[in-house]
Amino acid sequence: MSAPLLSVERLGVRFGGLVALSGVSIDVQAGSIHAVIGPNGAGKSTLLNVITGIYQASEGRVLFDGERIDGEPPSRINRRGVARTFQNTELFGEMSALENVLVGLDRHFACGIASGAIHGAAWRRSEAAARARAAELLDQVGLAGDEHVEAAALPFGKQRRLEIARALATRPRLLLLDEPAAGLRAAEIDALNAILLDLRARHGMTILLIDHVMALVMKISDRISVLNFGQKIAEGVPDEVRRSPEVIKAYLGEKASHAVGS
Amino acid sequence: MSTRPALVILASAIGLAALVAAPAMLAEFHLFQLCLVAGTALVVLGLVVVTGFAGQLSLAQSAFVALGGYGSAILATAWGVPLWLGIPLVSIVVALLGYVLGLMTLRVAGHYLALATMAVTAIVQLALIHSDSITGGAAGMPVPPFEILGRQLQTGGELYWVIVPVTAALFLVVHNLNRSRIGRAFAAIRQSETAAEAMGLNVLRYKAAAFGASGFLGAVGGGLLAPLSSYLDPAAFGITQTVYFLAIAVVGGMMSPLGAVIGSAVFVLLPDFLQAFQSYLGLVFALLLLVFIVLRPTGLASLNPFRRGGEGT
Repeated sequence: MSAPLLSVERLGVRFGGLVALSGVSIDVQAGSIHAVIGPNGAGKSTLLNVITGIYQASEGRVLFDGERIDGEPPSRINRRGVARTFQNTELFGEMSALENVLVGLDRHFACGIASGAIHGAAWRRSEAAARARAAELLDQVGLAGDEHVEAAALPFGKQRRLEIARALATRPRLLLLDEPAAGLRAAEIDALNAILLDLRARHGMTILLIDHVMALVMKISDRISVLNFGQKIAEGVPDEVRRSPEVIKAYLGEKASHAVGS
Repeated sequence: MSTRPALVILASAIGLAALVAAPAMLAEFHLFQLCLVAGTALVVLGLVVVTGFAGQLSLAQSAFVALGGYGSAILATAWGVPLWLGIPLVSIVVALLGYVLGLMTLRVAGHYLALATMAVTAIVQLALIHSDSITGGAAGMPVPPFEILGRQLQTGGELYWVIVPVTAALFLVVHNLNRSRIGRAFAAIRQSETAAEAMGLNVLRYKAAAFGASGFLGAVGGGLLAPLSSYLDPAAFGITQTVYFLAIAVVGGMMSPLGAVIGSAVFVLLPDFLQAFQSYLGLVFALLLLVFIVLRPTGLASLNPFRRGGEGT
Protein backbone atom coordinates (compact mmCIF):
# COMPACT_ATOMS: atom_id res chain seq x y z
CA MET A 1 0.00 0.00 0.00
CA SER A 2 1.34 3.46 -0.92
CA ALA A 3 1.79 6.25 1.62
CA PRO A 4 -1.56 7.75 2.65
CA LEU A 5 -2.47 11.23 1.34
CA LEU A 6 -3.64 12.28 4.79
CA SER A 7 -2.31 10.87 8.00
CA VAL A 8 -3.78 11.76 11.38
CA GLU A 9 -1.43 10.43 14.06
CA ARG A 10 -2.43 9.96 17.73
CA LEU A 11 -4.39 13.19 17.63
CA GLY A 12 -5.62 14.64 20.92
CA VAL A 13 -7.67 17.80 21.38
CA ARG A 14 -8.68 19.23 24.74
CA PHE A 15 -10.82 22.28 25.41
CA GLY A 16 -9.93 23.10 29.00
CA GLY A 17 -10.91 19.96 30.92
CA LEU A 18 -13.03 18.55 28.09
CA VAL A 19 -11.35 15.87 26.01
CA ALA A 20 -12.79 16.18 22.48
CA LEU A 21 -10.37 13.76 20.79
CA SER A 22 -7.85 11.38 22.26
CA GLY A 23 -5.25 9.25 20.50
CA VAL A 24 -7.08 9.18 17.18
CA SER A 25 -5.12 7.85 14.18
CA ILE A 26 -6.66 7.73 10.73
CA ASP A 27 -5.00 7.20 7.34
CA VAL A 28 -6.78 8.33 4.20
CA GLN A 29 -5.51 6.69 0.99
CA ALA A 30 -5.24 8.78 -2.17
CA GLY A 31 -8.21 8.31 -4.48
CA SER A 32 -10.46 6.82 -1.82
CA ILE A 33 -13.69 7.93 -0.22
CA HIS A 34 -13.15 7.65 3.51
CA ALA A 35 -15.93 8.25 6.02
CA VAL A 36 -15.75 9.08 9.70
CA ILE A 37 -18.96 8.29 11.53
CA GLY A 38 -20.07 8.43 15.12
CA PRO A 39 -22.89 9.66 17.34
CA ASN A 40 -23.33 13.36 18.11
CA GLY A 41 -20.48 14.68 20.23
CA ALA A 42 -18.10 11.91 19.14
CA GLY A 43 -15.53 14.47 17.95
CA LYS A 44 -16.11 14.26 14.19
CA SER A 45 -16.36 18.00 13.56
CA THR A 46 -13.43 18.63 15.90
CA LEU A 47 -11.34 16.25 13.78
CA LEU A 48 -12.22 18.17 10.61
CA ASN A 49 -11.54 21.51 12.27
CA VAL A 50 -8.09 20.37 13.37
CA ILE A 51 -7.20 19.04 9.91
CA THR A 52 -8.23 22.38 8.33
CA GLY A 53 -6.42 24.50 10.92
CA ILE A 54 -9.43 26.05 12.66
CA TYR A 55 -8.63 24.28 15.94
CA GLN A 56 -5.19 23.47 17.29
CA ALA A 57 -4.17 19.93 18.24
CA SER A 58 -3.17 19.40 21.89
CA GLU A 59 -1.12 16.34 20.98
CA GLY A 60 -0.28 14.22 17.96
CA ARG A 61 0.15 15.49 14.42
CA VAL A 62 -1.44 15.73 11.00
CA LEU A 63 0.49 14.93 7.82
CA PHE A 64 -0.70 15.85 4.33
CA ASP A 65 1.27 14.33 1.50
CA GLY A 66 4.04 13.55 3.97
CA GLU A 67 4.32 17.07 5.40
CA ARG A 68 3.13 18.33 8.77
CA ILE A 69 0.20 20.73 8.48
CA ASP A 70 -1.11 20.93 12.04
CA GLY A 71 -0.56 24.41 13.49
CA GLU A 72 -0.64 26.11 10.09
CA PRO A 73 -3.31 28.78 9.43
CA PRO A 74 -6.38 27.56 7.48
CA SER A 75 -5.51 29.56 4.35
CA ARG A 76 -2.07 27.90 4.12
CA ILE A 77 -3.59 24.45 4.54
CA ASN A 78 -6.08 25.22 1.78
CA ARG A 79 -3.25 26.33 -0.49
CA ARG A 80 -1.56 22.98 0.07
CA GLY A 81 -4.60 21.29 -1.46
CA VAL A 82 -7.11 20.65 1.32
CA ALA A 83 -10.59 22.14 0.85
CA ARG A 84 -13.71 21.75 2.94
CA THR A 85 -17.41 22.39 3.29
CA PHE A 86 -19.17 23.38 6.50
CA GLN A 87 -21.86 21.61 8.50
CA ASN A 88 -24.29 24.53 8.59
CA THR A 89 -22.97 26.04 5.36
CA GLU A 90 -20.73 29.10 5.44
CA LEU A 91 -21.55 30.68 2.10
CA PHE A 92 -21.01 34.32 1.23
CA GLY A 93 -24.75 34.98 1.46
CA GLU A 94 -24.99 38.34 -0.30
CA MET A 95 -22.97 37.13 -3.27
CA SER A 96 -24.31 35.23 -6.26
CA ALA A 97 -23.55 31.53 -6.64
CA LEU A 98 -21.05 32.39 -9.37
CA GLU A 99 -19.24 34.94 -7.17
CA ASN A 100 -19.00 32.42 -4.35
CA VAL A 101 -17.13 30.09 -6.67
CA LEU A 102 -15.02 33.00 -7.97
CA VAL A 103 -13.71 33.55 -4.44
CA GLY A 104 -12.53 29.93 -4.43
CA LEU A 105 -10.86 30.45 -7.82
CA ASP A 106 -9.19 33.69 -6.65
CA ARG A 107 -5.53 32.70 -6.68
CA HIS A 108 -5.79 30.56 -9.81
CA PHE A 109 -7.00 33.43 -12.01
CA ALA A 110 -5.06 36.29 -10.49
CA CYS A 111 -4.32 39.55 -12.25
CA GLY A 112 -2.10 42.29 -10.86
CA ILE A 113 -3.44 45.14 -8.74
CA ALA A 114 -2.44 47.70 -11.39
CA SER A 115 -4.49 45.95 -14.06
CA GLY A 116 -7.38 45.60 -11.62
CA ALA A 117 -7.21 49.32 -10.84
CA ILE A 118 -7.64 50.39 -14.45
CA HIS A 119 -9.61 47.32 -15.58
CA GLY A 120 -6.92 46.64 -18.16
CA ALA A 121 -6.51 43.77 -20.62
CA ALA A 122 -4.98 41.37 -18.07
CA TRP A 123 -7.92 41.96 -15.74
CA ARG A 124 -10.47 41.41 -18.52
CA ARG A 125 -8.79 38.16 -19.59
CA SER A 126 -8.44 36.68 -16.11
CA GLU A 127 -11.96 37.75 -15.11
CA ALA A 128 -13.51 36.17 -18.21
CA ALA A 129 -11.53 32.95 -17.78
CA ALA A 130 -12.46 32.75 -14.09
CA ARG A 131 -16.15 33.27 -14.84
CA ALA A 132 -16.11 30.55 -17.47
CA ARG A 133 -14.42 28.12 -15.07
CA ALA A 134 -16.84 29.03 -12.27
CA ALA A 135 -19.79 28.29 -14.55
CA GLU A 136 -18.25 24.87 -15.36
CA LEU A 137 -17.88 24.05 -11.68
CA LEU A 138 -21.49 25.05 -10.98
CA ASP A 139 -22.59 22.83 -13.83
CA GLN A 140 -20.56 19.97 -12.38
CA VAL A 141 -22.59 20.04 -9.15
CA GLY A 142 -25.90 20.55 -10.92
CA LEU A 143 -26.28 24.28 -10.38
CA ALA A 144 -26.28 25.38 -14.03
CA GLY A 145 -28.87 28.14 -14.34
CA ASP A 146 -28.42 29.32 -10.75
CA GLU A 147 -25.27 31.36 -11.48
CA HIS A 148 -26.78 34.71 -10.62
CA VAL A 149 -28.99 33.67 -7.72
CA GLU A 150 -27.90 35.12 -4.38
CA ALA A 151 -26.37 32.28 -2.34
CA ALA A 152 -28.62 32.95 0.66
CA ALA A 153 -31.69 32.63 -1.57
CA LEU A 154 -30.83 29.11 -2.82
CA PRO A 155 -32.68 26.14 -1.29
CA PHE A 156 -30.64 24.30 1.32
CA GLY A 157 -29.76 21.31 -0.87
CA LYS A 158 -28.35 23.63 -3.51
CA GLN A 159 -26.41 25.62 -0.90
CA ARG A 160 -24.73 22.35 0.08
CA ARG A 161 -23.72 21.66 -3.50
CA LEU A 162 -22.59 25.27 -3.99
CA GLU A 163 -20.22 24.75 -1.05
CA ILE A 164 -18.78 21.71 -2.83
CA ALA A 165 -18.30 23.72 -6.05
CA ARG A 166 -16.63 26.53 -4.11
CA ALA A 167 -14.31 24.08 -2.37
CA LEU A 168 -13.44 22.40 -5.70
CA ALA A 169 -12.60 25.83 -7.14
CA THR A 170 -9.51 25.99 -4.92
CA ARG A 171 -8.21 22.88 -6.77
CA PRO A 172 -7.89 20.55 -3.78
CA ARG A 173 -6.39 17.09 -3.78
CA LEU A 174 -8.34 16.27 -0.62
CA LEU A 175 -11.96 17.30 -0.17
CA LEU A 176 -13.38 17.32 3.36
CA LEU A 177 -17.14 17.26 3.72
CA ASP A 178 -18.75 18.09 7.07
CA GLU A 179 -22.10 16.25 7.26
CA PRO A 180 -22.94 16.80 3.58
CA ALA A 181 -26.21 14.85 3.82
CA ALA A 182 -27.65 16.42 6.98
CA GLY A 183 -31.05 17.94 6.27
CA LEU A 184 -31.23 16.56 2.73
CA ARG A 185 -34.14 14.52 1.31
CA ALA A 186 -33.53 11.00 -0.03
CA ALA A 187 -33.49 12.13 -3.67
CA GLU A 188 -31.01 14.86 -2.83
CA ILE A 189 -28.76 12.35 -1.05
CA ASP A 190 -28.74 10.18 -4.19
CA ALA A 191 -27.76 13.21 -6.29
CA LEU A 192 -25.00 14.02 -3.81
CA ASN A 193 -23.73 10.42 -3.97
CA ALA A 194 -23.57 10.64 -7.75
CA ILE A 195 -21.56 13.88 -7.58
CA LEU A 196 -19.04 12.42 -5.11
CA LEU A 197 -18.59 9.15 -7.03
CA ASP A 198 -18.16 11.13 -10.24
CA LEU A 199 -15.52 13.33 -8.61
CA ARG A 200 -13.50 10.30 -7.61
CA ALA A 201 -13.94 8.48 -10.91
CA ARG A 202 -13.18 11.38 -13.24
CA HIS A 203 -10.84 13.55 -11.20
CA GLY A 204 -9.25 11.03 -8.85
CA MET A 205 -10.40 13.17 -5.93
CA THR A 206 -9.72 11.92 -2.42
CA ILE A 207 -12.71 12.56 -0.17
CA LEU A 208 -12.96 12.45 3.61
CA LEU A 209 -16.50 12.91 4.83
CA ILE A 210 -18.03 12.85 8.24
CA ASP A 211 -21.66 12.07 8.74
CA HIS A 212 -24.14 10.09 10.70
CA VAL A 213 -26.47 9.40 7.82
CA MET A 214 -25.65 5.71 7.28
CA ALA A 215 -27.37 5.56 3.88
CA LEU A 216 -24.82 7.87 2.32
CA VAL A 217 -21.80 6.54 4.15
CA MET A 218 -22.37 2.81 3.60
CA LYS A 219 -23.13 3.18 -0.11
CA ILE A 220 -20.15 5.14 -1.30
CA SER A 221 -17.35 4.78 1.25
CA ASP A 222 -14.29 2.62 0.62
CA ARG A 223 -13.34 2.73 4.26
CA ILE A 224 -15.04 3.88 7.45
CA SER A 225 -13.61 4.96 10.80
CA VAL A 226 -15.93 5.12 13.79
CA LEU A 227 -15.50 7.64 16.59
CA ASN A 228 -17.19 7.56 19.97
CA PHE A 229 -16.48 9.89 22.89
CA GLY A 230 -13.38 11.20 21.12
CA GLN A 231 -11.81 7.80 20.48
CA LYS A 232 -11.64 5.58 17.44
CA ILE A 233 -13.57 2.41 18.25
CA ALA A 234 -13.58 0.66 14.87
CA GLU A 235 -12.32 0.92 11.33
CA GLY A 236 -12.69 -1.10 8.15
CA VAL A 237 -14.70 -1.56 4.99
CA PRO A 238 -18.43 -0.78 5.32
CA ASP A 239 -19.46 -4.41 5.92
CA GLU A 240 -16.96 -4.94 8.74
CA VAL A 241 -18.05 -1.73 10.43
CA ARG A 242 -21.72 -2.59 10.06
CA ARG A 243 -21.18 -5.87 11.92
CA SER A 244 -18.82 -4.57 14.60
CA PRO A 245 -20.40 -5.05 18.05
CA GLU A 246 -18.58 -1.92 19.29
CA VAL A 247 -20.29 0.15 16.62
CA ILE A 248 -23.70 -1.32 17.28
CA LYS A 249 -23.23 -0.62 20.97
CA ALA A 250 -22.26 2.99 20.29
CA TYR A 251 -25.18 3.61 17.97
CA LEU A 252 -27.95 1.54 19.52
CA GLY A 253 -26.94 1.15 23.15
CA GLU A 254 -25.69 -1.72 25.34
CA LYS A 255 -28.86 -3.87 25.31
CA ALA A 256 -29.28 -3.78 21.56
CA SER A 257 -25.73 -4.96 21.03
CA HIS A 258 -26.46 -8.08 23.12
CA ALA A 259 -29.62 -8.65 21.14
CA VAL A 260 -27.81 -8.38 17.82
CA GLY A 261 -24.80 -10.34 19.04
CA SER A 262 -26.77 -13.34 20.32
CA MET B 1 -29.86 46.24 -20.32
CA SER B 2 -28.13 47.40 -23.52
CA THR B 3 -28.97 51.08 -22.92
CA ARG B 4 -27.31 51.04 -19.50
CA PRO B 5 -23.64 51.32 -20.53
CA ALA B 6 -24.64 54.11 -22.94
CA LEU B 7 -26.42 55.93 -20.12
CA VAL B 8 -23.42 55.53 -17.85
CA ILE B 9 -21.09 56.90 -20.55
CA LEU B 10 -23.47 59.82 -21.20
CA ALA B 11 -23.74 60.62 -17.49
CA SER B 12 -19.96 60.39 -17.08
CA ALA B 13 -19.41 62.69 -20.06
CA ILE B 14 -21.86 65.27 -18.69
CA GLY B 15 -20.26 65.00 -15.25
CA LEU B 16 -16.76 65.44 -16.70
CA ALA B 17 -17.84 68.42 -18.80
CA ALA B 18 -19.45 70.01 -15.74
CA LEU B 19 -16.28 69.50 -13.67
CA VAL B 20 -14.09 71.05 -16.40
CA ALA B 21 -16.48 73.95 -16.97
CA ALA B 22 -17.11 74.65 -13.26
CA PRO B 23 -14.11 76.96 -12.62
CA ALA B 24 -15.20 79.25 -15.44
CA MET B 25 -18.81 79.40 -14.32
CA LEU B 26 -18.77 79.38 -10.53
CA ALA B 27 -17.72 81.97 -7.97
CA GLU B 28 -14.67 81.44 -5.77
CA PHE B 29 -16.81 80.55 -2.75
CA HIS B 30 -18.54 77.72 -4.61
CA LEU B 31 -15.27 76.40 -6.02
CA PHE B 32 -13.91 76.38 -2.49
CA GLN B 33 -16.96 74.38 -1.43
CA LEU B 34 -16.43 71.91 -4.31
CA CYS B 35 -12.81 71.41 -3.22
CA LEU B 36 -14.03 70.81 0.31
CA VAL B 37 -16.51 68.21 -0.96
CA ALA B 38 -13.81 66.46 -3.02
CA GLY B 39 -11.24 66.42 -0.21
CA THR B 40 -13.78 65.18 2.32
CA ALA B 41 -14.95 62.55 -0.18
CA LEU B 42 -11.38 61.20 -0.41
CA VAL B 43 -11.22 60.86 3.36
CA VAL B 44 -14.61 59.13 3.51
CA LEU B 45 -13.63 56.92 0.55
CA GLY B 46 -10.99 55.44 2.85
CA LEU B 47 -13.71 54.67 5.36
CA VAL B 48 -15.87 53.08 2.65
CA VAL B 49 -12.98 50.71 1.82
CA VAL B 50 -12.17 49.61 5.36
CA THR B 51 -15.60 49.69 7.02
CA GLY B 52 -17.95 49.30 4.05
CA PHE B 53 -16.08 46.81 1.85
CA ALA B 54 -13.90 44.93 4.34
CA GLY B 55 -16.34 45.23 7.26
CA GLN B 56 -13.82 46.53 9.83
CA LEU B 57 -15.28 49.38 11.89
CA SER B 58 -12.58 52.05 12.03
CA LEU B 59 -12.57 55.34 13.95
CA ALA B 60 -8.96 56.09 13.03
CA GLN B 61 -9.79 58.14 9.93
CA SER B 62 -9.24 61.50 11.68
CA ALA B 63 -5.78 60.36 12.73
CA PHE B 64 -4.86 59.52 9.12
CA VAL B 65 -6.20 62.89 7.94
CA ALA B 66 -4.20 64.70 10.63
CA LEU B 67 -1.00 62.81 9.78
CA GLY B 68 -1.47 63.57 6.08
CA GLY B 69 -2.07 67.28 6.68
CA TYR B 70 0.54 67.86 9.39
CA GLY B 71 3.11 65.53 7.80
CA SER B 72 3.16 67.26 4.43
CA ALA B 73 2.95 70.75 5.99
CA ILE B 74 5.92 70.02 8.29
CA LEU B 75 7.94 68.52 5.41
CA ALA B 76 7.30 71.74 3.48
CA THR B 77 8.08 74.25 6.23
CA ALA B 78 10.99 72.44 7.89
CA TRP B 79 12.68 70.77 4.91
CA GLY B 80 11.32 72.68 1.94
CA VAL B 81 9.72 69.61 0.35
CA PRO B 82 6.96 70.96 -1.89
CA LEU B 83 3.42 69.74 -1.14
CA TRP B 84 2.98 68.06 -4.53
CA LEU B 85 5.80 65.71 -3.53
CA GLY B 86 5.26 65.74 0.24
CA ILE B 87 1.60 64.68 0.16
CA PRO B 88 2.19 61.42 -1.79
CA LEU B 89 5.31 60.63 0.28
CA VAL B 90 3.53 61.16 3.60
CA SER B 91 0.49 59.25 2.34
CA ILE B 92 2.60 56.20 1.55
CA VAL B 93 4.09 56.29 5.05
CA VAL B 94 0.59 56.66 6.57
CA ALA B 95 -0.58 53.73 4.42
CA LEU B 96 2.18 51.60 6.00
CA LEU B 97 1.10 52.78 9.45
CA GLY B 98 -2.48 51.86 8.54
CA TYR B 99 -1.30 48.42 7.46
CA VAL B 100 0.45 47.85 10.78
CA LEU B 101 -2.65 49.09 12.63
CA GLY B 102 -4.65 46.61 10.53
CA LEU B 103 -2.49 43.73 11.75
CA MET B 104 -4.02 44.52 15.14
CA THR B 105 -7.27 42.97 13.85
CA LEU B 106 -5.61 39.62 14.60
CA ARG B 107 -6.26 40.34 18.28
CA VAL B 108 -9.25 42.68 18.38
CA ALA B 109 -12.49 42.72 16.41
CA GLY B 110 -15.91 44.38 16.37
CA HIS B 111 -16.61 46.89 19.13
CA TYR B 112 -13.13 46.48 20.55
CA LEU B 113 -11.60 47.34 17.19
CA ALA B 114 -13.76 50.48 17.07
CA LEU B 115 -12.50 51.47 20.52
CA ALA B 116 -8.87 50.69 19.69
CA THR B 117 -8.99 52.75 16.48
CA MET B 118 -10.70 55.57 18.37
CA ALA B 119 -7.80 55.49 20.80
CA VAL B 120 -5.42 55.93 17.86
CA THR B 121 -7.28 59.12 16.88
CA ALA B 122 -7.07 60.40 20.47
CA ILE B 123 -3.36 59.56 20.73
CA VAL B 124 -2.47 61.29 17.44
CA GLN B 125 -4.42 64.40 18.47
CA LEU B 126 -2.67 64.49 21.86
CA ALA B 127 0.71 64.03 20.21
CA LEU B 128 0.00 66.99 17.88
CA ILE B 129 -1.02 69.20 20.79
CA HIS B 130 2.03 68.32 22.86
CA SER B 131 4.72 68.57 20.15
CA ASP B 132 4.76 72.39 20.24
CA SER B 133 8.15 72.76 18.58
CA ILE B 134 7.16 71.15 15.29
CA THR B 135 3.34 71.31 15.17
CA GLY B 136 2.68 74.60 16.93
CA GLY B 137 0.90 72.78 19.71
CA ALA B 138 -2.68 73.66 20.61
CA ALA B 139 -2.42 76.91 18.63
CA GLY B 140 -1.88 75.01 15.39
CA MET B 141 0.35 75.85 12.41
CA PRO B 142 0.00 77.65 9.07
CA VAL B 143 0.18 75.58 5.88
CA PRO B 144 2.45 76.81 3.06
CA PRO B 145 0.75 77.30 -0.32
CA PHE B 146 0.64 74.45 -2.83
CA GLU B 147 3.43 75.26 -5.30
CA ILE B 148 3.72 73.50 -8.61
CA LEU B 149 5.52 74.48 -11.84
CA GLY B 150 6.45 77.82 -10.27
CA ARG B 151 2.85 78.75 -9.52
CA GLN B 152 1.31 79.14 -6.08
CA LEU B 153 -2.16 77.64 -5.71
CA GLN B 154 -4.04 79.14 -2.80
CA THR B 155 -7.66 79.90 -3.64
CA GLY B 156 -10.40 77.32 -4.15
CA GLY B 157 -10.42 78.15 -7.85
CA GLU B 158 -6.69 77.35 -8.14
CA LEU B 159 -6.58 74.29 -5.90
CA TYR B 160 -9.63 72.95 -7.74
CA TRP B 161 -7.31 71.76 -10.55
CA VAL B 162 -5.38 69.60 -8.10
CA ILE B 163 -8.01 68.36 -5.65
CA VAL B 164 -10.78 67.43 -8.08
CA PRO B 165 -8.65 65.44 -10.60
CA VAL B 166 -6.83 63.57 -7.79
CA THR B 167 -10.15 62.71 -6.14
CA ALA B 168 -11.64 61.60 -9.47
CA ALA B 169 -8.63 59.38 -10.25
CA LEU B 170 -8.57 57.70 -6.84
CA PHE B 171 -12.35 57.32 -6.94
CA LEU B 172 -12.01 55.42 -10.24
CA VAL B 173 -9.21 53.22 -8.88
CA VAL B 174 -11.27 52.27 -5.82
CA HIS B 175 -14.35 51.67 -7.95
CA ASN B 176 -12.41 49.37 -10.31
CA LEU B 177 -10.59 47.47 -7.59
CA ASN B 178 -13.90 46.88 -5.83
CA ARG B 179 -15.11 45.22 -9.01
CA SER B 180 -12.02 43.02 -9.23
CA ARG B 181 -10.83 40.04 -7.18
CA ILE B 182 -9.75 42.46 -4.42
CA GLY B 183 -13.30 43.71 -3.88
CA ARG B 184 -14.58 40.14 -4.02
CA ALA B 185 -12.10 39.08 -1.35
CA PHE B 186 -13.12 42.01 0.90
CA ALA B 187 -16.80 41.13 0.45
CA ALA B 188 -16.07 37.47 1.24
CA ILE B 189 -14.20 38.42 4.42
CA ARG B 190 -17.02 40.75 5.46
CA GLN B 191 -19.57 37.95 5.12
CA SER B 192 -17.65 35.00 6.58
CA GLU B 193 -14.08 35.20 7.73
CA THR B 194 -14.04 31.46 8.43
CA ALA B 195 -15.08 30.55 4.90
CA ALA B 196 -12.80 33.15 3.30
CA GLU B 197 -9.83 31.75 5.21
CA ALA B 198 -10.85 28.19 4.28
CA MET B 199 -10.82 29.26 0.61
CA GLY B 200 -7.14 30.14 0.94
CA LEU B 201 -7.52 33.90 1.44
CA ASN B 202 -5.06 35.33 3.96
CA VAL B 203 -7.75 37.22 5.87
CA LEU B 204 -5.35 39.10 8.14
CA ARG B 205 -3.36 40.44 5.19
CA TYR B 206 -6.49 41.61 3.39
CA LYS B 207 -7.81 43.35 6.49
CA ALA B 208 -4.45 45.04 7.06
CA ALA B 209 -4.42 46.10 3.39
CA ALA B 210 -7.89 47.63 3.82
CA PHE B 211 -6.57 49.68 6.75
CA GLY B 212 -3.54 50.61 4.66
CA ALA B 213 -5.82 51.86 1.86
CA SER B 214 -7.95 53.83 4.32
CA GLY B 215 -4.76 55.38 5.72
CA PHE B 216 -3.54 56.32 2.24
CA LEU B 217 -6.85 57.88 1.16
CA GLY B 218 -7.27 59.67 4.50
CA ALA B 219 -3.75 61.10 4.31
CA VAL B 220 -4.12 62.27 0.69
CA GLY B 221 -7.45 63.88 1.64
CA GLY B 222 -5.88 65.50 4.71
CA GLY B 223 -2.86 66.64 2.71
CA LEU B 224 -5.06 68.30 0.07
CA LEU B 225 -7.50 69.86 2.54
CA ALA B 226 -4.65 71.47 4.51
CA PRO B 227 -3.57 74.07 1.87
CA LEU B 228 -7.26 74.72 1.17
CA SER B 229 -7.90 75.81 4.75
CA SER B 230 -4.29 77.18 4.94
CA TYR B 231 -4.20 76.52 8.69
CA LEU B 232 -4.05 73.33 10.78
CA ASP B 233 -5.81 73.34 14.13
CA PRO B 234 -5.39 70.15 16.20
CA ALA B 235 -8.93 70.59 17.56
CA ALA B 236 -10.22 69.68 14.09
CA PHE B 237 -8.72 66.17 14.20
CA GLY B 238 -10.42 64.66 17.23
CA ILE B 239 -12.96 61.98 17.91
CA THR B 240 -15.87 64.26 16.97
CA GLN B 241 -14.40 64.66 13.49
CA THR B 242 -13.85 60.92 13.08
CA VAL B 243 -17.50 60.29 13.96
CA TYR B 244 -18.46 63.05 11.50
CA PHE B 245 -16.64 61.12 8.72
CA LEU B 246 -18.44 57.93 9.76
CA ALA B 247 -21.79 59.77 9.63
CA ILE B 248 -21.01 60.98 6.10
CA ALA B 249 -20.25 57.43 5.04
CA VAL B 250 -23.49 56.11 6.53
CA VAL B 251 -25.69 58.80 4.95
CA GLY B 252 -23.89 58.55 1.58
CA GLY B 253 -23.69 54.77 1.56
CA MET B 254 -20.94 52.50 2.86
CA MET B 255 -21.06 49.99 0.03
CA SER B 256 -20.22 52.29 -2.85
CA PRO B 257 -17.42 54.77 -3.63
CA LEU B 258 -20.17 57.05 -4.91
CA GLY B 259 -21.58 57.10 -1.37
CA ALA B 260 -18.48 58.94 -0.17
CA VAL B 261 -19.02 61.69 -2.75
CA ILE B 262 -22.77 62.00 -2.22
CA GLY B 263 -22.45 61.99 1.57
CA SER B 264 -19.69 64.60 1.50
CA ALA B 265 -21.75 66.82 -0.80
CA VAL B 266 -24.72 66.62 1.58
CA PHE B 267 -22.69 67.35 4.71
CA VAL B 268 -20.59 70.15 3.18
CA LEU B 269 -23.31 71.90 1.18
CA LEU B 270 -26.32 71.44 3.46
CA PRO B 271 -25.18 74.08 5.99
CA ASP B 272 -25.35 76.71 3.21
CA PHE B 273 -28.99 75.95 2.60
CA LEU B 274 -29.77 75.91 6.29
CA GLN B 275 -28.34 79.27 7.28
CA ALA B 276 -31.42 79.91 9.41
CA PHE B 277 -30.77 76.77 11.46
CA GLN B 278 -27.09 77.52 12.00
CA SER B 279 -27.11 76.79 15.73
CA TYR B 280 -29.08 73.56 15.25
CA LEU B 281 -26.87 72.09 12.51
CA GLY B 282 -25.56 69.38 14.81
CA LEU B 283 -29.13 68.37 15.50
CA VAL B 284 -29.98 68.33 11.78
CA PHE B 285 -27.02 66.03 11.05
CA ALA B 286 -27.83 63.78 13.97
CA LEU B 287 -31.44 63.41 12.81
CA LEU B 288 -30.24 62.78 9.25
CA LEU B 289 -27.94 60.04 10.52
CA LEU B 290 -30.70 58.42 12.57
CA VAL B 291 -33.15 58.52 9.68
CA PHE B 292 -30.65 56.76 7.42
CA ILE B 293 -29.66 54.13 9.95
CA VAL B 294 -33.31 53.25 10.51
CA LEU B 295 -34.84 53.70 7.05
CA ARG B 296 -32.04 53.40 4.51
CA PRO B 297 -28.97 51.70 6.00
CA THR B 298 -27.45 51.36 2.53
CA GLY B 299 -27.31 55.15 2.19
CA LEU B 300 -28.10 57.59 -0.60
CA ALA B 301 -25.86 55.81 -3.12
CA SER B 302 -28.22 52.82 -3.14
CA LEU B 303 -30.75 55.08 -4.89
CA ASN B 304 -28.32 55.36 -7.84
CA PRO B 305 -30.30 54.46 -10.99
CA PHE B 306 -27.17 53.18 -12.79
CA ARG B 307 -26.31 50.54 -10.22
CA ARG B 308 -26.13 47.14 -11.82
CA GLY B 309 -28.34 44.58 -10.14
CA GLY B 310 -27.10 41.21 -8.90
CA GLU B 311 -23.40 41.74 -9.48
CA GLY B 312 -22.93 44.25 -6.68
CA THR B 313 -20.70 43.10 -3.89
